[in-house]
Amino acid sequence: MALVTLEGVGKTFRGRTGAWEAVRDFSLELAEGEFFCLLGTSGCGKTTVLNMLAGFEAPTAGRILLDGKPVRGPGADRGVVFQGHDSLYDWLTARDNIAFGLRLRGMAKAERRAVADRFLTMVGLTGQGAKHPSELSGGMKQRIQIARALANDPRILLMDEPFGALDAMTRAVLQNELSDIWAKSGKTVLFITHDIEEAVALSTRVGVMKRGPGGTLKAVVPVDLPFPRERTSDGFMQTFRQVHALIHEEIHPHE
Amino acid sequence: MNSRAATIGGYIAGFALLFLIWHLAALYLVRSVLFPSPFPVFERAVVLIEDGLLQEAVIASMRRILQGFLLGSALGIPIGLALGSFRPVRLLLEPWTEFFRFIPAVAMITVAVIWFGIGEESKIFLIAYTTVFVVIIATAAGVGAVGRDKIRAAQCLGASKFQLFALVALPATVPYILTGMRLAMANAFVTIVAAELVASNDGLGKMLWDARLFMQVEDIFVALIALGLLGFATDRAFRLLIRAFAGRFNPTM
Ligand SMILES: Nc1ncnc2c1ncn2[C@@H]1O[C@H](COP(=O)(O)OP(=O)(O)OP(=O)(O)O)[C@@H](O)[C@H]1O
Ligand SMILES: [Mg+2]
Repeated sequence: MALVTLEGVGKTFRGRTGAWEAVRDFSLELAEGEFFCLLGTSGCGKTTVLNMLAGFEAPTAGRILLDGKPVRGPGADRGVVFQGHDSLYDWLTARDNIAFGLRLRGMAKAERRAVADRFLTMVGLTGQGAKHPSELSGGMKQRIQIARALANDPRILLMDEPFGALDAMTRAVLQNELSDIWAKSGKTVLFITHDIEEAVALSTRVGVMKRGPGGTLKAVVPVDLPFPRERTSDGFMQTFRQVHALIHEEIHPHE
Repeated sequence: MNSRAATIGGYIAGFALLFLIWHLAALYLVRSVLFPSPFPVFERAVVLIEDGLLQEAVIASMRRILQGFLLGSALGIPIGLALGSFRPVRLLLEPWTEFFRFIPAVAMITVAVIWFGIGEESKIFLIAYTTVFVVIIATAAGVGAVGRDKIRAAQCLGASKFQLFALVALPATVPYILTGMRLAMANAFVTIVAAELVASNDGLGKMLWDARLFMQVEDIFVALIALGLLGFATDRAFRLLIRAFAGRFNPTM
């Protein structure tokens, strides 16, 4: 059985400016352990899909299942890494941010400290646990977010353009780290991006979305390349071109 | 030179300059017995301190400010939290806060005296009144300003409604609460003097009033300087407190 099932999911926003159908008839199954990249042009509905799966918003059509059970709201089984870093708690240290979910569950202080330190090391921030978010760089903050989500041991990790605001060099470093973490942890990941190279470098499958209104999954491209990925290899280039062609049609639909 | 020494040095120099200008103005510009130079005022202050009169007045005023301020804050913070957290509470109470905050405490002095007499109660009521609405509004605004992603992150880490409030909304609101209290403290100084001018047996406001009756211009200046210094010191203390809590929160505050 698939870990996550989206069945004909749709979302129509109703507001003062009328109704806007952001997502239409979106269907997808995610298997345990896969790294799925959702790729699409700006405004096609990627964040909307993630928000529905996270339980922040309810779909207006279709249904979403996790382990066969309908998603009703946010929960600890789905960890989210947000695009910005406003989601970190400024009044807590990096370590306490990472341990926040464990604290909610009532884990003893010494124990959660040990877990947090392990995840600090995993994201390459050994010994920096006492710093507050205001003392961390943008890349470090995203590392803390990833560690915070992983430390809570969710069934699936939902990441909304987590590296979108970083410079190219930091992004490449974090992509490699994330790839290693994913390989080691075996977590299922849904990763949103509009960077084709990032998608091909990280994922086992790339889903390309049609642009909105009524954004939907247009094609799914399997990426059968060994890890670590060689970005200049023929296989990589070939997949890149394939995905690029699919995206290109969305950017220039009338050519 | 480190920045703290620079700050303190700046304060000292600033005050010295103020007194110098005052001295020159009294000596060469105004030249009237109604505008004494700093020296007779300082001499008078020493006498008042030796007699224990100045301390008495300061303690009387500050005690009222503190009691009313703590009472007002103790009421304002939970009301503000409820107002910011629950829509029905907001719809119900917002008209109150929007209405009462435009009736200044000074305008309430007459009612306060009629209700509570000229004893401590009326003063504490007035200070609490002037404090409570500022604190409510600042606290509610703070709750409203908690970032959406902070709430969502906690939700998908498994937070209960109570944990969301106690571990996310409340700490995120602390800097706003302290800022509201700081503003309220400034109002409290205005209010206490007005209240003591009108109806009191002691305090700095009473000292000002008596000095006017007996034309003791130096006493007036002593009281004014005492007020300025007290307000300044309290405000600094609050700033330090906000820094200590909020420095890590929000570097712009
Ligand atoms: N709360 C909302 N109310 C009304 N419309 C919304 C709301 N949220 C999103 N939309 C609309 O839905 C569409 C999809 O938005 P979404 O944020 O999912 O796009 P996206 O693919 O994540 O884009 P980007 O790559 O720029 O982040 C957009 O047209 C947006 O205007
Ligand atoms: Mg988005």
